[in-house]
Amino acid sequence: MNDSGRDPGAARNRENVYEVSKLDRGTVIDHLRAGTAVRAASVLRLPPSCPMMLGVNLESERLGRKDIIKIRHYELSEEEAAKVALISPDATLSIIRDFSVAQKIDLHPPIAFRGLIRCTNDVCITHSEGIRGRFFVASHDPVTAACEYCGRHITADHFEFEKNA
Amino acid sequence: MRVSEQDFVGRDVITVSDFRREEILFLLDTAARFENETGTPLAGRVIAALFFEASTRTRLSFESAVGRLGGTSIGFAEAGASSATKGENLSDTVRVVEGYSDLLLLRHPLEGAARLAAEFVDIPVVNCGDGAHQHPTQTFVDLYTMRRECGRLDGLHVVFCGDLRFGRAVHSLVSVLALFNARVTLVSPSFLRLPAEHRHTLESNGVIYNEAPDLESSLAEADVLYMTRVQRERFTDPLEYERFKDTYTLDLNVLKRASDQLAILHPLPRVNEIAREVDGQSHAAYFRQAHYGVAVRKALLALLLGVAGEVPK
Ligand SMILES: [Zn+2]
Repeated sequence: MNDSGRDPGAARNRENVYEVSKLDRGTVIDHLRAGTAVRAASVLRLPPSCPMMLGVNLESERLGRKDIIKIRHYELSEEEAAKVALISPDATLSIIRDFSVAQKIDLHPPIAFRGLIRCTNDVCITHSEGIRGRFFVASHDPVTAACEYCGRHITADHFEFEKNA
Repeated sequence: MRVSEQDFVGRDVITVSDFRREEILFLLDTAARFENETGTPLAGRVIAALFFEASTRTRLSFESAVGRLGGTSIGFAEAGASSATKGENLSDTVRVVEGYSDLLLLRHPLEGAARLAAEFVDIPVVNCGDGAHQHPTQTFVDLYTMRRECGRLDGLHVVFCGDLRFGRAVHSLVSVLALFNARVTLVSPSFLRLPAEHRHTLESNGVIYNEAPDLESSLAEADVLYMTRVQRERFTDPLEYERFKDTYTLDLNVLKRASDQLAILHPLPRVNEIAREVDGQSHAAYFRQAHYGVAVRKALLALLLGVAGEVPK
């Protein structure tokens, strides 16, 4: 028992319950900031009837509270992973194959990117020309993207994600 | 990091922040050289001025610069005269015009238009205003005027007065003054206060600034007063406009408190914010400012086209 009266081992065990419930093949997105799972799930382009589980406000040693997403029989594309990183920087992505972690990736927002989101400035030239936006990350916490064309700064909670991933 | 003419050749001019302090100073030095230039380094060159939005002053200033250097300008002065009214994309228009010209001047109501145009053509693109976003040559002219009138650019105390909220010229100049160790005073009604992002820029760049309610008392130690007009089109409620339009009026009475060396700048056009009686004062630099604009634009065009060196020193 530590000062706070909590047993860190027990907390870890509780975490494990969520993390390792048997996924034969698929993706686990862990360490999502609490409250971001629904939004992160919404940017994924899953095939119809693809099973997905969301865990919300789970205990986490690192974050206090965290969200988690598990998807069966689906591996995220690079674009989807980048979108998730924009919503929740420093989440972790695990690709599960044959009941074990085949690959684990620490997500980070891209420094500069084309597309993924659209500029929120109605009078930005990208809209009338029908071209994908270009952005660079202007600050990290919260993630703020700046449009390379019109200069508009957009914070993460205002991101409008492209539909066609 | 010595700057040479070569650093400018073929370059796009989209935002002021694309330029380093040394490059801006080099441009201003070249402009000084071009003030009374009578040579024709632009002979045989064609400059395309695509003005999708009316801007008489900027267009005439550029056309004068082109003409005085012996170049030819083609283009249109408002979108109605262009193929944009037939629904053509900007990217198509500029690719067509690229074949007709050596340099593209672009003014467009949509923000980011100049950056987009620059991606589609190889010739230099100069942003002459893209919506409320950027108008870099105005800022270069402002800096040139300040240095020309005050004899230096470093360590000036600059007072901005009027509409600091919507004024693109103010935002751009404020952002670049940090490069020249300026001190800044902001005078505006609270409704027209400088937006937070620009105040943060000042802070993060270590610029000493203060906000003052009153113009008169701000002038005693100022080197430059940058006046702006309150624009009617910014207000949805005409009564609001009436309430703010005459908040600050610079007249001889207000000027009594000014230091001898004060230079008054204004991007023009003015409405009532500077009384006509001020025009005859040595402080009044705003018409000279408009004239310096031609020298600065001459220098910029010559540098971008790689012919600035053809002028005898
Ligand atoms: Zn934009």
